[in-house]
Amino acid sequence: MNALVALCHFCELHGPRTLFCTEALHPPSPSPPQPGSAIPGDRDREADREGEGLTMRANSSATQRADMCEGCRSLPASHPGFVSVDSETGIRYLSHQHPRQPQLFSVVRQACVRSLSCEVCPGREGPIFFGDEQHGFVFSHTFFIKDSLARGFQRWYSIVVVAMDRIYLINSWPFLLRHLRQTIQSLQDTALKVFDNEQCVCPQRAVRMNSAFSPAVFPHQRSGNAARSLTSLTQHPNLWASLHSSFSWLLKACGSRLTEKLLEGAPTEDTLVLIERQTEQEEEMSGWEGAEGGGSNPQPSQSESVHSKDFQFDDGRQEDLLGPKFKSLRHLRQVLGANDFRQLTWHVLMGNQVIWRGADPGLIQSAFNVLKALLPVGCVRAVSYSPHYEEAYRCNFLGLSPDVPIPAHVSSSEFSMLVDVHNVERGCVNPVSDDDILSLYQFNISSANTQPTDKGPTLLNKIEVALSNGNLSVEVVSLCLLCLKEEWMNKVKVLFKFSKVDGRGKEDTQKVLALLGATGPGEEDNVRLLKFWMTGLSKLYKSHLMTAVRGGERTLSQ
Amino acid sequence: MNVLITVTCVSLSFSWASAEFDLAQIRLIVYQDCEKRGRQVLFDSKAIHKLDTSEPVTCKNPIVTVSFILKTADETKTPPNRSGACHIGSQAGDKDKPPSYQYTRPASDVNMIGEMMFGSVSMSYKGSTLKIHHIRSPPQLMVSKVFSTRFGSSTSGSTNTYTFHEDPKESYQRCNDSVFPAHSNPVDMPSRGHSEDGDSGIARSASLSSLLATPLPSPGSSFSSGLSSSYQRRWLRSQATSLQHGPMPRWNTEEMFNLSDESCNSNPAMIQRKKIAISIIISLPEREEENHNFQEFFFSHFPLFESHMNKLKTAIERAMIVCRRIAESSQRVQVYLCRVMEALGEFRMTVWNLYMAPRISEPVWLSMISQSTERNLLCQRFLKEMSLLMEHGAKSQFLAALLTAVLTHHLAWVSTVMPSSLPPIKSACQKPASQTVDLLAKSHPYNPLWAQLGDLYGALGSPVRVCRTVVVGRKRELVQRVLYVLSYFIRCSDLQEHVQPQGQMDNPASPCTSQTTDPTPEKTCPPKPDPLKPTACVIGTSEKALNSDLGNAIPGTSVEQNHEILLTDTNSTSPSPSSESTAVRPEFTEMGQECFGEDSDSVGGGLEHILANQSPLLHRVQFHIGSPSETANDGQAGGLTGAGCGRGLDRKLHQRLLSDIRRKESSDSALGDSDDEETSPRELYGATEQNEYELPLPSCQVESRASVNHFGHSLLGGYCPQYMPDFALHGISSDLRLKQCLMADLEHTVLHPALDEPVAEALCIVADTDRLSVQVVTSQRRVCEGGRLGRDVMVSNLVHTLITSVLQLFALNIASDFCVMHLEDRLQEVYFKSRSLAEYLRGQTRVHVKELGLALGIESSDIPLLAAVASTHSPYVAQILL
Repeated sequence: MNALVALCHFCELHGPRTLFCTEALHPPSPSPPQPGSAIPGDRDREADREGEGLTMRANSSATQRADMCEGCRSLPASHPGFVSVDSETGIRYLSHQHPRQPQLFSVVRQACVRSLSCEVCPGREGPIFFGDEQHGFVFSHTFFIKDSLARGFQRWYSIVVVAMDRIYLINSWPFLLRHLRQTIQSLQDTALKVFDNEQCVCPQRAVRMNSAFSPAVFPHQRSGNAARSLTSLTQHPNLWASLHSSFSWLLKACGSRLTEKLLEGAPTEDTLVLIERQTEQEEEMSGWEGAEGGGSNPQPSQSESVHSKDFQFDDGRQEDLLGPKFKSLRHLRQVLGANDFRQLTWHVLMGNQVIWRGADPGLIQSAFNVLKALLPVGCVRAVSYSPHYEEAYRCNFLGLSPDVPIPAHVSSSEFSMLVDVHNVERGCVNPVSDDDILSLYQFNISSANTQPTDKGPTLLNKIEVALSNGNLSVEVVSLCLLCLKEEWMNKVKVLFKFSKVDGRGKEDTQKVLALLGATGPGEEDNVRLLKFWMTGLSKLYKSHLMTAVRGGERTLSQ
Repeated sequence: MNVLITVTCVSLSFSWASAEFDLAQIRLIVYQDCEKRGRQVLFDSKAIHKLDTSEPVTCKNPIVTVSFILKTADETKTPPNRSGACHIGSQAGDKDKPPSYQYTRPASDVNMIGEMMFGSVSMSYKGSTLKIHHIRSPPQLMVSKVFSTRFGSSTSGSTNTYTFHEDPKESYQRCNDSVFPAHSNPVDMPSRGHSEDGDSGIARSASLSSLLATPLPSPGSSFSSGLSSSYQRRWLRSQATSLQHGPMPRWNTEEMFNLSDESCNSNPAMIQRKKIAISIIISLPEREEENHNFQEFFFSHFPLFESHMNKLKTAIERAMIVCRRIAESSQRVQVYLCRVMEALGEFRMTVWNLYMAPRISEPVWLSMISQSTERNLLCQRFLKEMSLLMEHGAKSQFLAALLTAVLTHHLAWVSTVMPSSLPPIKSACQKPASQTVDLLAKSHPYNPLWAQLGDLYGALGSPVRVCRTVVVGRKRELVQRVLYVLSYFIRCSDLQEHVQPQGQMDNPASPCTSQTTDPTPEKTCPPKPDPLKPTACVIGTSEKALNSDLGNAIPGTSVEQNHEILLTDTNSTSPSPSSESTAVRPEFTEMGQECFGEDSDSVGGGLEHILANQSPLLHRVQFHIGSPSETANDGQAGGLTGAGCGRGLDRKLHQRLLSDIRRKESSDSALGDSDDEETSPRELYGATEQNEYELPLPSCQVESRASVNHFGHSLLGGYCPQYMPDFALHGISSDLRLKQCLMADLEHTVLHPALDEPVAEALCIVADTDRLSVQVVTSQRRVCEGGRLGRDVMVSNLVHTLITSVLQLFALNIASDFCVMHLEDRLQEVYFKSRSLAEYLRGQTRVHVKELGLALGIESSDIPLLAAVASTHSPYVAQILL
């Protein structure tokens, strides 16, 4: 808890004194904002302390030395104090006679004086809460300890818990009261035994009754008695170490008395897929491949791991390759022109194989990186640059070197498209800036597709609006794209649940499509997109839906 | 009653208290402490009689209090005929003659109570002081607030009009003298930096309050790593209330008892050396269990109690000011008493309601996150209720409007849909618990109850706004259905309580438990388990292990900080000054890494001997300065354990340290084994920066259980007999009282937020199920046409489509569990949209609504919702849109 605990004593000769103080030092903040040093007013506080009325005679040790007795002291000045470390949290609990942090010195002194000589507790023993914003807030419990030599055979103590968080401290009242009572009870019981013992040996009441009272001798007589320490009253040689442990525990337990369970949103599908790929990769690295798949040939899984690596690291790798690059979808659109761009992205979104053939792998990879953003992570299978053709089931993004032939069944297929990147000859005399892709390359787009690409999908129409609006920054566009993707991913989930998990009929499916807003113009494209994106759902999600159905059935049947 | 159970089967309202709570159990005392005249009782509800006893309205007459005991059993079923407090309000005043009151003899305990309120020594502190006392017999809790007074100079000091045995002229005179106090010397507690003028306090505290008011911009703009405003709030709270920064007055510290009449405020207010204290004394139930329950409730709900006390205080201030204008003495007293009694009646009623009102027994959100086994049934029930509600208000889009308002203002849902970047632990659909918040709570404890309160009131945006929702309607079933559905959208964290099992033997709280030997003066009794054995071994051997442990706990942070402290502080350090350590030899100074161990050379032996003389404890403790081998690579060294401290020091510092020891020795030797009780803090700070003895942190078994007394349970009210100012959500049958109180309540919330942090605006969503209207009422009073409370809510298209598609899926017989997941997905979409809105607004001065619609698909009806959501992660949004 953000608090400190102190044991205070009302010394018969010296008034209220702080005996022992346990404070919690928290590890530096987990977030960047200012460390403690940046808090303004530290200096002022230093100066103010001099004026602090309650510290009475400032802090000159010369005057104080005379004002000391055994009863006002816990650890000797040379004692380094105690520390306990909570290794889980890094919080250190420190105990000394006085708080180690200078700004707390006067706070504790205030609390001590107020608890023992200002605030009134009915019956003198018991809990009080008091405080204000300026001096902090205090939960105090006063109590007596038996002392055969003290006036009235008892001494007065208090344990104070000081915090700045008023509400937290008050909320903790029942807890603090319960545990401080135990602490106090244990001190009192121990002292009572000592007291009884001493009374047996030498009954003080008789001594006092019999000794002649003389005003001259009285103060002198008493001053000797006033010097008894709590250690001597309890005959507990390790009292302070034990007290340190008790107080430290109290601070820790009070801080962790209540814990909250605060939920975050479920991770996005993209996150889940990335995590899954990473785990797969790790499993393969540790040589477990084949353990699951058995008969399936190892080749695809290997290249898949390469792909996922691609996905995670290509940002880094891209910088290694020199030469011009596509920076954003908008950039790509500018270079290709609106029409070609529309065609290209349409194919990407439909899940068709997009092949780029050219001499500059850096450029091609940058195009893929930009285009990948259009799809859920789970839908991206890229072979960024290959010396031979790869089948469509292996990759939907394929980069090829210029001379690689495209098989006939591919070039005639409506489910693929080819972008040929030609070097422009005339530009090479003058050194051109990297940015000017068009002066270096020429792009030829071809596909056997006969369907119109200008109706849908809805997602593409919306992206194009955002891309063509120059007022929107690249960041806004990419956030906009993310919104659209998430929106459509949620539709994908519903469709998956509906058609694959529950296996509903066409009529119902049509209803769902309507309620998802996938019908209307471009409906066909929307449906294709949804179906393609379904392949990108994470395994975790899919298996959850499957098991949830089974689980649900079980609860229903029960 | 039957109807309630069979038809709705969802909202079995329950009440907190098993017992009756008597309104007369709450007593009010107002006391004044004047420098010259001493203390006077200005009001004591125990010593006031109502003269006209024919009415059942009496509050304080012990004979009539019986009529005030409202049985809970009846209470929850039918709205009772509220005798008493609720009629004390203005309606009654119009019709009937105001009641007249009479002083009786002061209660016997007033003097003692005065002592407790002010303390035996009065303080000169100018701000308000809060105190809580526990009186053992008869068992009572007493909450006091002590204020300095502020007078308008034109009417200064006539508070004596209210004293019991008054002599107006005389007291007026006496109290105005500013003679040096004769009765007791106030302890001088100067306020820091307040001395120049009253305003400086505001400037000083402004830095932090503004920090609190505006969450820091979230560090990462990426979707996955951005920390939620829930996290920010909690972190800031732990910092703002940290002891490590020392006392840092945060806000409203200058709260005073205001007696200046605003109608004649020609002169600036002046402050007198006079204090006024208000105490509420609550008699505790006699039965142990009830007593315990009430106390648990009281202390966990203290911010609410306090807020009502502040309201009471304001009413008392007004009563004093108003009655001053009345010339005739007895009439003046009557007016004063009447007004204070009325305010007390309000207070009692509110407290009673707070404790006794019915609650939603199974709030959907909290139930869903706490019990995963019932999840399917819960989802089903929830969607069913929501469908019914949708049908009911289909034409007016009642549900869509209500949810638009709720999602806009009760913003705690946002962090529950922000995508986690962590892999799910259980299943894909289950939301993970926030690990960052969890870690924060452990390393920087903050008050989870406070966090929960803020969640419920939706205080997560910027600027901070707090909101409540009231559902009004004569049809109980319908209102309860609305409440049930809303309890899914008004969210907060769930609290767990960790307590020690009953009857646990070895309690870490008791320092002497393990002591079994009977103590004799000669004999020492070693405690078991011996705390010192582990000490020696920890310090002696595993310092490296410990350091690395800590390093792991907070990677790369704690170690560095410690290192810093060490470096700065050793300058003034003089560790273990002792008369006999002349044994420190020059070689040692050079080595600077030697170990003062038991088995070390004579150096160690000498030191050990000295230490042993001072405390029996130290016999077995090994004492290191520096570590034997590792000082060379001190780049990552750091002393977290006491013993490890030396490792971070370089040789120069070591030399300095050791020569300091010697200097200190020589200067102190004449004084012998001196001990400075009050060495200067600076010196102390330095001196203790050395090697504390490390002791293991005691641990004990704890049982975890769901916390009962938390706001998630208590502030989601059921169908209540009366409007309640505290509940985040509740239903009422008539808005009569709501209309009377709401504006004042909202204003009060802004002035004295129970949230304990500055609040820019207080709002209340009022949903009327009879008229199917949803309005939002704000503390920023804007003129509303036609005597209406607030403004109608514009239905957000996003919310509308969201509900529609979820309910259509449900209607298509898709598993309810999945429908709820879809609902969460759609809420997440709203969050994503708010991110793009925020990004769009960054650097914009003007917002083109049309462009928003075209480019981002954000319609104008969605903007208020999205802007509110955006303000939780991008505080600048509010400034642009305002």
